[in-house]
Amino acid sequence: MIELLATRYAYALMFVLLGIGLYMVIASENLVKKLIGVNLFQTAIFLFFVAVAYVEVDGEPGGSPVVPATTEPAAGDLILASPLPHVIVLTAIVVGIALTAVGLALIVRIHAEYGTLREDTLREVRADE
Amino acid sequence: MSLVGYTLAIFVIVAALATAMFRDVLSAIIVFGAYSLGMAILYTLLLAPDVAMTEAAIGAGVTTILLLLTIAKTTRPTTDRLFESIDVPALFVVGAFVVVLGTQVLPEMYAVGDSEAPVWSNPEVTQAYLEQTYEDTGVQNAVTAVLAAYRGFDTFGEAVVVFAAGIATLLVLKREVFA
Repeated sequence: MIELLATRYAYALMFVLLGIGLYMVIASENLVKKLIGVNLFQTAIFLFFVAVAYVEVDGEPGGSPVVPATTEPAAGDLILASPLPHVIVLTAIVVGIALTAVGLALIVRIHAEYGTLREDTLREVRADE
Repeated sequence: MSLVGYTLAIFVIVAALATAMFRDVLSAIIVFGAYSLGMAILYTLLLAPDVAMTEAAIGAGVTTILLLLTIAKTTRPTTDRLFESIDVPALFVVGAFVVVLGTQVLPEMYAVGDSEAPVWSNPEVTQAYLEQTYEDTGVQNAVTAVLAAYRGFDTFGEAVVVFAAGIATLLVLKREVFA
């Protein structure tokens, strides 16, 4: 159990953060907090991709792919973290902020129409119409 | 994982819990900014400084500003209670979700940093990118090369998404100039 957590800490952390993000989306009555929950969920997924790309050589962290390998790596010698998941995460972060902006614009509009950001009040106001 | 890493992991969990539990939205936004910074440092420890910089600039910076603008334009509900009350059914569902992931999925994962993991199971792919990047594109940073050269069309598609999101935001806020 402890050994499992020690070797897979990033994934365990990801699962906990996924849970907290999901809880915020379900339980928060305030729409802004719901959207923060979505963002939190997202960062947990980014952590998964970054952890997948991470590589260790004999217990020591490998190199980051943003610096060129100065020494000629021998064939099959894996010393740099994989750049491909990093690129996917970079794309996802930018798309994520764009979606957050659209969500927040919708929230501003909802407040302008109904005068509330609370989900339960919103349901009542809409039921009255 | 170093001591710094474990400390950061605990900090990130505490910040996330505080974000979920603070009743005041402004407090939640500020704690979420701190959470994003913690995550950015964690990404650096996991050998992704490029992702960390983007997360620090966009997650901790732009997202916080957008959220603050939103509550400035709408309302910040006043409350005398510091924390939210706990939603028991939601907690039950989420608890089951996390327990299933933790007990069923976690043991099946490869250890963090394991070079036998699927990302490395076909080392020719990753290794080819790392070795040929400079010859192919003239860029030494493998991440930049993949982002802007090998997968340039993808990045172009990303720009289209951002453009579409900008238009959607303007439409929703009724700020279009040409209408």
